[in-house]
Amino acid sequence: MLDPAFLARLINRALARGGDFADVFCERRSTISYRLQDGQIHEASVGMTLGAGIRVVVGESAGYASSDDLSEAALLRAAESASLVARAGRHGELAGAELAPQAVGSLYKGEHEEADPARYVSLLERADVAARGYDPSVVAVNGTISDELQEVWIANSDGHLVHDRRPLVTLGVQVVASDKRERGSGYAGDGGRTSLHYFDDHTPESLATDAARIAAVNLHASAAPAGEMEMIVGSGGGGVLLHEAVGHGLESDFNRRGTSLYSGRVGERVASRLVTIYDDGNLQEERGSVNVDDEGVAGQHNVLVHEGVLQGYMQDRLNARLMGTTSTGSGRRQSFRFAPQPRMCNTYMPSGETSVEEIIASTRRGLYAKSFAGGQVEISKGDFVFMVGEGYLVEDGKLTAPVRNATIVGNGPDAMMKVVAVGNDSRLARRHYTCGKAGQYVPVGVGMPTVKISSITVGGTQHG
Amino acid sequence: MDEAQALELAARILAEARAAGAESAEASVSIAARMHVEALAETIARLENSRSCSMLLRVFKNGRKATLATSDASLEGVRDAVRRAVAHADLVAHDGCAGLPEKVATELPSLHLHDDAVSARLETEKTQEPLELERLVRREDARVVNSAGSHYSDTNAVSALANSNGFSAAYPWTRIMRSSAPVALDGSIKRVGHYGTAGRHLDDLESLHAVAAKATRRAVDLFGARKPSTMRVPVIFERDVAASVLEDLFAAASGSNVATGNSWLAGRIGQRVGSELVTIVDDGRLPGRLGSAPFDGEGVATRRTIVFEDGVLQTYLYDSYYARKLKAASTGNSTGTGIGPTNFYLEPGAQTLDELIARTQRGVLVTDTIGFATEHASGTYSRGARGFFIEGGEPAYPIDEFTIAARYPEMLAGVDAVADDLRFDGAIVSPSFRIAEMTVSGN
Repeated sequence: MLDPAFLARLINRALARGGDFADVFCERRSTISYRLQDGQIHEASVGMTLGAGIRVVVGESAGYASSDDLSEAALLRAAESASLVARAGRHGELAGAELAPQAVGSLYKGEHEEADPARYVSLLERADVAARGYDPSVVAVNGTISDELQEVWIANSDGHLVHDRRPLVTLGVQVVASDKRERGSGYAGDGGRTSLHYFDDHTPESLATDAARIAAVNLHASAAPAGEMEMIVGSGGGGVLLHEAVGHGLESDFNRRGTSLYSGRVGERVASRLVTIYDDGNLQEERGSVNVDDEGVAGQHNVLVHEGVLQGYMQDRLNARLMGTTSTGSGRRQSFRFAPQPRMCNTYMPSGETSVEEIIASTRRGLYAKSFAGGQVEISKGDFVFMVGEGYLVEDGKLTAPVRNATIVGNGPDAMMKVVAVGNDSRLARRHYTCGKAGQYVPVGVGMPTVKISSITVGGTQHG
Repeated sequence: MDEAQALELAARILAEARAAGAESAEASVSIAARMHVEALAETIARLENSRSCSMLLRVFKNGRKATLATSDASLEGVRDAVRRAVAHADLVAHDGCAGLPEKVATELPSLHLHDDAVSARLETEKTQEPLELERLVRREDARVVNSAGSHYSDTNAVSALANSNGFSAAYPWTRIMRSSAPVALDGSIKRVGHYGTAGRHLDDLESLHAVAAKATRRAVDLFGARKPSTMRVPVIFERDVAASVLEDLFAAASGSNVATGNSWLAGRIGQRVGSELVTIVDDGRLPGRLGSAPFDGEGVATRRTIVFEDGVLQTYLYDSYYARKLKAASTGNSTGTGIGPTNFYLEPGAQTLDELIARTQRGVLVTDTIGFATEHASGTYSRGARGFFIEGGEPAYPIDEFTIAARYPEMLAGVDAVADDLRFDGAIVSPSFRIAEMTVSGN
């Protein structure tokens, strides 16, 4: 979108006061979304994000300036402003005479053109009909569909120029069930870096039925138990546990600064031998995948933990440079308004050897968490929570009563050391998780086989 | 920042909407300059400057509504985006409740939302602040060995709104924030404390020394924390976590959640839901506060609304759409895209937090929570927490890695003491309060 010769000029302007590295991230993102409520299409929304961010890195410092005015004057002003971080550095400049365009991969299946709006309407209406038809207790169905195309142009002082087009579709259905006395809600969502055709196979009916089923289960659920007990983490969405208990603590910014409990522990045992964790930006069509990250580095398959031993961190360019290593394709940002940070892509655990039946049968008293509403972690000490969306009591090797939403609390390495069984059913969650870090939100994926943890604290109200 | 420039842009968007076939329309424009500095030890880790122009348009065509959010202010950019938004409205269902508000603000009081001292500050003053915080937290306590970052940020902006019924107004505002997050070493455990202060005026902020001292205490006071036993006890929510409980209450009181089946408060207007200490107000007209504005996202005058009075639910909070839908009047809580708080707070009590603790024989003081999902349809609350175990009216020892849980109706009915420590450092704020009994889940 911006002329390569002008991008080169911007980089040289950004480095005029000195600096080790500079890059320009230019973005045009177009979003269409429709909302359904009360059985009708309630609203259509159009979104357009257009702008550029310029960064200058000097040692451990980064200057960043963004502008949604793409005129030459405004961008040169932004480059000047980003360069202020380098006060007495030596003069830097673009490597080579001009920017060299780089090829990118093809992980996405987008159509790269706007769909017929009638298709959004039809997908939402099909979801509404299916959810209402599922059970007479369903009193409200709220649906959202969103179709986005983000185009990025990334140029840097190493002379690289990358262009990528990233489609992202999302369909979410929220259902409320009520029997006059109590209410219960359920949510199901799906999507990825692909086109609306994704929902030909992953139908709105199956999503809506799942959301309605969870709402009906929660309507009649009893209070969740309180205290320490065995826990079975369900396949797919159970990956939220990995994302919180381990993933965030392995992002390189926290580790370079020494504020993570995993700092300086590469090569050490941080989990039970049964635990292997990958972060993969390279999976076809997945929500967390990147042909290139937001610094222009190709997505990779990164081994975080292998059989319980910590293998390495997720790196962006700035932290990799300072830690004497290379980027792992983990530099991501919410939009041109933000400087990149090391972030997860799709975080998952591969299958183990135990069958799900065996795992359940071996549990005397515990909680089976089938789906997850999200989680959070405190990086330094490593305490994390994750929130159960659908859960059941396990008593004497059998699933019994459904229980209301509860928060589970644990400590990262402690919980991962207590993994005593890993199921043979690993899969990626079919839900659209979004990860927040320091005010920036990016789409991610998680995956997990069914896993048993020997003891964890469940935050319900039913004591004893 | 230039109010005229924002109003002119809003007028241009409205003209495009009418040209594209909208029957009525409303455009809001925010132009903002933001600076953010993060320091780590003796280094400026990040120095960020942004200038943004955000435009929001709502168009109505035959009872059908579409919205547009764009950052592209170019002539063709606005024209193209507006045309697309108007075209998409055709697929929306006819809805008799959709439309511009009947009544907009006619007087625009000056609410002192802008501080000239912010724009007058020199860049060096701003960059020195987080560096000074980094020095202060290390000086505060020798156990502080590291930091997750000290921050300064400020925003200098104008917000403008215009609609096709002739409403057109703008106002300038500022926001400043400073915070620190020292890391102290407790054996091999890294404990981070976080404390920040925010306001519209430079003079409203707590001093660098106060921020450093409070952040450091939050890190070191937790030294030796253990996991408590599972029990049912009184729970005191310290001010900042008390505010997070009010965020949930705001969501439950929001007309959009009531209308879509997602509020446990649905059908309870006029009922006693909380104890008599629960008086919660949403007030958009408090001078100089972060949630204040002369008009809301639709141009409706902001006002003071009593949501709970002595425990009785008085009203939900509405924009004009959900007001029509639920047969009420707008309370001036539109954000343009939904329903938001102005200054939403629990009325403070007369005792200090220390007095409240002294009057608690046995219980838990919660100083921090993690987690966020509340099931608003049923009102189920559960969070990870840390804080102190209280014995004989004193914090006996620090505790962490536990949860607190209850159903919201029981929590509100159980509020049996409210402290006097309300501060307005956000739009949703609260003094500390005590709930007579909750489940604390640990060992």
